[in-house]
This record gives sequence, C-alpha cells and structure tokens, in this order.
Amino acid sequence: MRTVKALVLTGYGLNCDYETDFSLKMAGAASERVHINELISCGGRGASVSLGDYHILVLGGGFSWADDHGAGVIMAARLRYNIGEEIEEFIREGKLVIGICNGFQALVNLGLLPGFDGDYRSREIALTYNDSGNFVDTWVRLRTREDTVCIFTKGISYIELPVRHGEGKFYASREIIDRLIEKDQVVLQYADREGNPAEGRWPFNPNGSLYDIGGICDSTGRIFGLMPHPEAYNHYTNHPDWVMKREELARRGKGIEGEEGEGVAIFRNAVEYVRENL
Amino acid sequence: METIAREILANDIIQQWRIYKRDEWDDQKGIGMNIPRVALNNIPQVGTFPIKSDDELKRLSAERNLALHESDIPVIRRYFLQKDVLLKRKAVGLDLPTDVELEYISQARSDHCNHNTFSGLFRYHDIATNHKEIIDNLFKTCIEQPTLEIKEKKDWVISVLWDNAGVGRFDEDYYYVITGETHNSPSNMEAYGGAITGIVGIYRDPLGTGRGSKLIQGTYGFCVGPRDYAGELKPHLHPRRLLDGVIEGVRDGGNKSGIPTPFGQVIFDQSYMGKCLVFVTAMGIMPATVDGKSSHLKKANPGDMIVMCGGRVGKDGIHGVTAASETYSETTPAGHVQIGDPYTQKKMHDFLLEARDEGLIEFITDNGGGGLSSSVGESARWSNGCHVDLEKVPLKYEGLDPWEIWVSESQERMTVAVRPDNIDRFLVLSARHAVESTVIGQYNNSGYLHLAFNKKTCAYVHMDLLKSSFPQWEFDAEWIPPSSRGLKEPLWDEPDDQGYLVKSILKRPNICAKNWIQRQYDHEVQGGSVIKPLVGKGQDMVSDAAVVRPILGVLKGIAITQSINPFYSLIDTYHMAAVTIDEAVRRLIAVGGDPAHIGGVDNFCWPTIIHDPTKNPDGRYKAAQLVRACWALRDYTLAFEIPLLSGKDSMYTDGEVKGPSGMTQKISGLPTLQFTATTLVKDIRRCVTMEVKIAGDLVYILGKTGDELGASEYYQMMNWIGLNVPRVDAEKVISLYHALYQAIQEGLVASCHAVGRGGLGVHLALSAIGGNLGMDIDLRSVPVQERLSNTRILYSESAGRFIVTIDPKKRGAFEETMDGLDYACIGRVSDTDTLQVLGVNGEIIINEKIGDLKDIWKEPFGGLV
Repeated sequence: MRTVKALVLTGYGLNCDYETDFSLKMAGAASERVHINELISCGGRGASVSLGDYHILVLGGGFSWADDHGAGVIMAARLRYNIGEEIEEFIREGKLVIGICNGFQALVNLGLLPGFDGDYRSREIALTYNDSGNFVDTWVRLRTREDTVCIFTKGISYIELPVRHGEGKFYASREIIDRLIEKDQVVLQYADREGNPAEGRWPFNPNGSLYDIGGICDSTGRIFGLMPHPEAYNHYTNHPDWVMKREELARRGKGIEGEEGEGVAIFRNAVEYVRENL
Repeated sequence: METIAREILANDIIQQWRIYKRDEWDDQKGIGMNIPRVALNNIPQVGTFPIKSDDELKRLSAERNLALHESDIPVIRRYFLQKDVLLKRKAVGLDLPTDVELEYISQARSDHCNHNTFSGLFRYHDIATNHKEIIDNLFKTCIEQPTLEIKEKKDWVISVLWDNAGVGRFDEDYYYVITGETHNSPSNMEAYGGAITGIVGIYRDPLGTGRGSKLIQGTYGFCVGPRDYAGELKPHLHPRRLLDGVIEGVRDGGNKSGIPTPFGQVIFDQSYMGKCLVFVTAMGIMPATVDGKSSHLKKANPGDMIVMCGGRVGKDGIHGVTAASETYSETTPAGHVQIGDPYTQKKMHDFLLEARDEGLIEFITDNGGGGLSSSVGESARWSNGCHVDLEKVPLKYEGLDPWEIWVSESQERMTVAVRPDNIDRFLVLSARHAVESTVIGQYNNSGYLHLAFNKKTCAYVHMDLLKSSFPQWEFDAEWIPPSSRGLKEPLWDEPDDQGYLVKSILKRPNICAKNWIQRQYDHEVQGGSVIKPLVGKGQDMVSDAAVVRPILGVLKGIAITQSINPFYSLIDTYHMAAVTIDEAVRRLIAVGGDPAHIGGVDNFCWPTIIHDPTKNPDGRYKAAQLVRACWALRDYTLAFEIPLLSGKDSMYTDGEVKGPSGMTQKISGLPTLQFTATTLVKDIRRCVTMEVKIAGDLVYILGKTGDELGASEYYQMMNWIGLNVPRVDAEKVISLYHALYQAIQEGLVASCHAVGRGGLGVHLALSAIGGNLGMDIDLRSVPVQERLSNTRILYSESAGRFIVTIDPKKRGAFEETMDGLDYACIGRVSDTDTLQVLGVNGEIIINEKIGDLKDIWKEPFGGLV
C-alpha cells in the first residue's frame, strides 16, 4: 500500500497541530507537523520542505498571527504571497486541502474556497463574528448534504463535533450561497436534535451562519473547509455523552465498540481518496 | 458626559477618551488612527543613593516604591558599608549602592518572591484556653516537612519545592507539571490586562520547569463582589465590570495559547470588593528524559550563555512584585499593569519545546515577577555568578534606565542557559520560529552578580547577600475561638415550604448556573477532553472535576479540580482549610480519580496580618487565622497523603474603597484558600459523571450527615453565621474514598457527585437536573450522626459525602464493596420528572418539577452568553 503523506501546518499561533496530526495517523496517513516557515521561504532563507512531496495539506485550528487583522487573513496573505503558485499546482495535481476553523478562515481569505470552477483567487465568503458576539465552545450536530461532491464526508450523513470559535458565522451573498447549493458544494449544515437543518436557531446553529452552513468544499470536492473540529473527536471519550452511552449499553449487556472517535472518518476518507486516485 | 466617560466607560489607568460634539464628528474618519507611541526623552543613567542612616534608606524605599521591609534595611546598609565590600566595589568603579542594586535586592526580598510571611515566626496565643505556641516558619512546618515526608512514600513525586512548578510521574515515559498563582492586584486595577497577564504568566511556569514542559491545561478561580452590587461602595471597577474583564482576560490568554481551560470557579462576596482574587493554575507535560537525563534536572553552568527569549522589554510591569506586596490604594503604581500577549508566547512555547528536544537547553526559567532580576538572579545561583550587559537587552523603545531594564516585568519572556557550542543552533531555531532570542551575558563562578550598562558596571553584588541572614519576620497571632466571638446557632423552627427553600438556594449566585463563563473557554483543544467542565443531558451541569488525556493514544488520564470555601473562615479557618482539601479530594474521586496519586497546590489569599493599632487593629487575629489554616493544611495533606506539588501565598488582600459621602473604607477579603488537586485516571474509559443516568437506578448517600450548618449557604441566605462548622474526620473518610474508587473501577457506579456547598438538598437536585430525570428520596434513610430535622439533613454541609446512583442489578456487588462504611440507599431515580422528598416523619416535603428547578437554577445568569 502506498504511503499517503499529510502536512499539518504549525507555528505563528496555530494550535491544533498535535491532535490533527494524531487523527491523520489514526486514519493511516504518514503525517508531519511542519512549521509555516519551513514551507515558505521567509526572510531570505530557503524553504526546507516542499509542498509537492505531500498529498494532503492541512490548515488547522488556532489563532494564526493572533487573528489581529481578522481571522486567517495574514496566514492567507503569507501563503498566497510565498507559495501561491505551489498551492495551485498542488490542487491541479488532484491533491487535497482541508482547512479547519482558523484554517477554514484562511481558505476563504486565500480564495481556495468557494473555488468555483477552478477559480482559486476570489474572496467571496466571510467567516465573521458569531451572532452572540462571543467565543463559544459547544458540541453541534451536523448533517451532511446528500448531494455534496465533497470527498471528505463520503459515507457520513450525520456527525457531532465541537465548535470553538468567536468568528464562525458563515456569511456570503445570496448569489454565492445559491451557487454553492447549485454546485453541491455545501457540505455540512448545523442541525437540530432530529437531524434537520437548524434554520438559524440557537444553540443548534451556534454562530448565526447563513443557511446553517458549517462547512463547504470547492467544485472538485477536494478542498474542504469547516468550522467544527473533527480532530477533537479522535476517541469516543471526547463526546460529551459518552458516559451516558456506556451506561445505556451496559444495561443491555453491551459495551462501546471500537475506540475511534467519529471525527477520524473525515481524515480516513481523505487518505483513502489519495490511495485510490493518486 | 465627562463623568460617564471617566467612570463608566473607560478605565483611566489604561484608556483615554475624548468627547465629540455632534458637528465635530466625521463618519468617515471616526476617531481616526491613534497609534500610541512611547517617547521617553530620557537619557539612561545609573543613580546612586546615600545610605548614611537607616532612616534615609527607609525614606528612599518609600520614595522609590521599593517596598523594602523595615527589618531588612540595616542588613542592606551593613553590607554596603563593609570594608572589603567597599574595596571590591571600588575595583569595578562603584561606591554607593546604585539604583540597580537596590531594586535587585528589593525585588528579591519582596514578600511576593520571598514569602517572608510564611517563613516568619508566629507567637500563637489562644486567648480562650491561654494555650501558647511558637511556630518557627509556617512554610517549613506545614508545607515543606509534610510534603517531604509524603514524597518518601510516593515514588511518583519527582520534584517539589524548588522549581517553578512541581513534577509528578504520569507514566514511564512522561512527567506532568503543575503550579498555581494569583494575580489579584493587577486584575483589581485593570481586570482584562491583569487576568490575561496572570494566565499567560502562569503558563510560563511549567514551560520553565525542569528543562521545559508543554502546556496541557489551565484553570481559573475568581472571587469578586456581587455582580449586581448596588450599594454605596465605589470600588475602582464595579464587580460586574471587573468580572467581565477577568473572564475575558483568562479566556484570551488560554484560547489564544491553544491550551484548554476545562475547570474554573467563581465566588461572589462583598469582602472581595477591596481587592478581587484571580487564581490561575497551569499544568504541563514533558518527556521523562531529555538527552538521556531526567527532564526535571537543570543547571546553569559557568560558561553558559544567558539568553533572553520572546518579547521585548518596556516600562510595563515595573514594580509589580512590590505592589502585590502592598494593600491596594490610589497610589499603587499603575505602571505595574500590563496586557499579556499570548500570541508571542505561543510562538516562544513551540520554539522552546523544539529546542529542548534537541538538547539545547541547560536551564530555563521564566521572567515573571521581578523580570530579569529574578530569573537571572536566581539561575546564577547555580553557577555562582554571572555577568550581564544590560544594553544588549532588546527594548520596545529607547530611554529606559538600566534599573528599569533589570526589573521590568514585560511579559512573554524566558531566560535560558545555553552551552556556547549550542548557541548557534539555538538562535537558528529561534529565527525559524520567528522568536527573538538575544544573548545578554554569561554565567560564571565569580561569586558575584555583575551588571554593566555600556561597559560600565552598574551592579556588583555578592551572590551570598540574598542568602544571608535577613531577620525573620515576626507576628503575634491571637486566636479568639468562635464561641468567644459570640457566634451561636440560630433558634429557628422548621420552614413550612421546603420546596420554596430549595428553589431559593438554587438561584443564589454562588450556587446557580454560570454556563456563560464556562462556554467561553476552549476546553477541547489538544483533543484529549474526557470529562468536560459541563456535563449532563443538557451539557450544562458543573462537573466535579475535569479529565483530560494528555498523551493521545494512551488511555491514561489526568483529573483536575479545585475548591474554594472562604465562608467557613467566618467561624474557623482550620476547618475552612480542612473542608476545602476534603472537597477537592472528593471531586477527584467522583470522576474516577485515583486516591493514592493525588497531588495538591495550595494558594492562600490572606488579608494583611501585620498588626497596626490604627490601620490593621485585628492583624493578630488574622495572623492566627493563617496559622490555623496552615495547621489544617499540614494535618490533612498528611492524612490524605497529598504532597504539595506547588503553592503560593498572596498576602495583602485588602483594599481601600470609596464609601458613602466620599470617605474611604478598608475592606479585607475573607481568608481564602484555593486548593487544587490533581490525580491520575488509570483508564479514562472508567470515568464517571455526576448526573443521574437511568430511571430505576438506586440513589445512595455515602458518608454521614451531621448538624453542621455553620457558615452554610442556607444560613448565609438567612444572614446568619452560626457555630457548627463542618469538620473532616480524615481517618473515617479515607477508607470510604478508597472503597468508592474500587466500586468505580469495577464499573458498579452509574453516577457520582461530591456533596458540597448547599448540602444534600441542592446537590440531589443538581444530580437530577443533570440527568433530566426525577428522584424519589426518603430522608429517613440518610445516615446521620444524630437525629436531625429535615432542614438540617437537607442543608448541612458536612464533609465526606457523595451522592451515588447504581444499576439495581449491581446492588449486591456495590454494597459488598461498601461493607462496614457509612452508606445507605435513600431512594430511586424516577421517570416522573419530579424531585420528591419524604421528610423524617414520612410526609412529602418537596415535590418539584425537575424542569422548574432547572429553570430557576439557570435563571440568574441565563441571559448572558
């Protein structure tokens, strides 16, 4: 079986690198944590890592450059300015990019998302301040759109994950959202207890995102951005209800099967896609 | 308008305002670009000071805000007047002590750094029994000796009592690191800045422990005035604004550092309006060995380079340490407030861990209180000397005097000792991480701390001076037992409506839901969250403790919890401390923590104990309160076998506040101990949460309920103190705790909750609310020490108790495990959606809908997000 190489960015205030790296490894990838400066030639020093050697690029959560100029803005500018060409080449080769939370914010600022029909430079979307005006850590229910072209969510119709952000409200013009729907690029929607779209209702939709959007992909389905954190559900004990579930199963003489958390499936889809297609 | 701006909108310590007329306002420009620039127009120079007499030095100390203790002054003068000292000083071009030197000594001798109070001599006198006792050094007798004794028995205790934080073994491959601090004075002046600096500052301690550990979690404790305070006192910041600020400060400090904040508490009390308390605790993890050596060992060797990493130095934070050693007043130096920058520190954190793994770090410590003065001064003791060129220290702006560079507490800085052959690699790695690192000097074995500025010596102090015999502080401690203070139990009848009573207590500020705070903290980053701060069906019930998995892929966890119970101090601080320690222990056991592996962190916040007939007339009593709390700390850490992995004391929790008619009132905070307890969870899959799980489950009470309502939440609601403070029978409860741990390990327990403030009435309701299920309870079955009325059973705050629910099928096995201990089955979990309680005469005394109880519990702060 061929090695699937994943690169998880670190440095400059990014902070979910260890668990993202761990989740990718659980999913079967040869994952590495790589400092942003090792990837971009910064201050005249040559880059020591080449993006082309990898199959999956991960922009994880955190507060890149402290989010001082808007979440993900400076990271996007740095990547665009230093390795914009390499990233577009990476995408042309059919490789995968996932941006989680701060990484999603960077992807929309880079213009890799919405990525309509190969346009990877237009900024059409904002992830802005939550309607509550405050940072929130809470678990959300997410439904996957059946028709999505996203390769990361294959076989996942519903998932629960934590969100942890102050700027996660998905905002775009009606036209852009319609186009996302039409192109099957809406991937995740915040949902209520029954799994139906939250329709903006708090706390199901935790930030006031338009059309309950929690995650989108580009037209190819190979670039994925989402606010919730799949890497934070890497073991079943991460889920807020796991003790309750264990107890209920115990009464039926059963136990929780498998150690893995459901978030790992998103990374496994990526690894399997690379194995089959690249 | 000016008043609104000054007093309600802005904090004049750090903010500026301007009032615009309507026609002056330009929509496009707004307030325009206002870039703050610092222009000091100061030519740096070194000052010298005459020391002809003690009085002169004393005056100087006051003028310069040095906060030197009176009894230290002759020792300092004697040193500088010694003949051989004068000769040696002459050789390096010095004569009279310089400002750099006096500042250095002042910082190192401050109570904040040196803990002179705890190391003091206490003459204790119980005025009721006439018992007298001399306690030579509370730190040695109540903290150091017990902890060393326990360390002998527990091989998992790796390093205590000397480094920035204590170290315990996590498993064969990793050590964990823990410490706790307070940041009261700065937070009281500028809540956001004080709190963020506090949390970011405490994060540097584990990073500077051993050869450096990765931060895995932080916790908080806030003690503030009532959020809705509407009385006549006018503190610098209204409690509401202050609380908002400290919440945000700790939030940004933790979240932006990528460190989860899975536990925290808030206590409201008017006594904290003089000075608020902000507790911050941090834990880290490090590989057990670095470069073939145990990672907790470190040493600065002669020849090692002194490297300062991270942020630059400015005027911010000058005299923070000495201000923390004084009562808050209008003249407290505002320069000591600063605003932490977690981003700069996060970069430095990531860099230093890589440098550690490459074996580049010989010694590391943080620049916190006292700045370079502390970090270099203390690390140079290992090599026995150092030379520093202060002009090499990178500054935020020009114009700082050398003494300011030396003592500035500008944040996000670490001091590292690096071998000369490693320095190039260290600096390359630093640049790779976009972190500024600068060689500012070198360690040596000259026996002297030698500082120069532009090649000219500005300080030359023998390393032994600070070790030398400074006189011990002395305190008279006068204990007046509670009954001699006129405290007594109330003569009250039983209330008619117990349902109303339980609801009234559930909505009290110290009991009710504070979800809006917990939700603002990222408690899942790093991916190892096992038991969250909020649990239960609605994910809104406060967990007894948090559990995290610090090493992903390993099924072992770390549980952490904290306890603060200042109200019992109104009766007896001995029992306050005992109950606080016991409660923290129980909270760990409740989630499945191992009772044999508990480590503690004691954080004392105490009002001034220095007696002064006019300024502090009850100082002797407060000193006795401190002695008694320390005795309990000694007795119960020994009984529970809890080594104190770390701890700090923060004295002077008093403040002067403007009262009615503009007069100033002194307010002393209640004597407060925050006890942090942490332990290992052998297998995270065995953890338990507090909410009831399934209808039909049996409800048990473990531990006995006594007539112990003194200083309880119920009495407090009735404006009464009482006399019968809860007491802890350590011997008895310990066997219970071990049995319960066993039961949890065997999977016999469906839910478990430590009964705390508010007593059974409150905590039965909370367990039921958490599970969104009803409960049928019969008070006649509750194990009691003596015959008690319904109200006493429901609201006594006796220690050592748990509420446990189990699957009825496991009854036999559970009761076998608990055999011979105080326990009883008192009812069942029901699917009726009602909390129904039968009283001691078998009559229904409480019959309340769970939904209503939940609404009431959540209502007070329910509108906040």
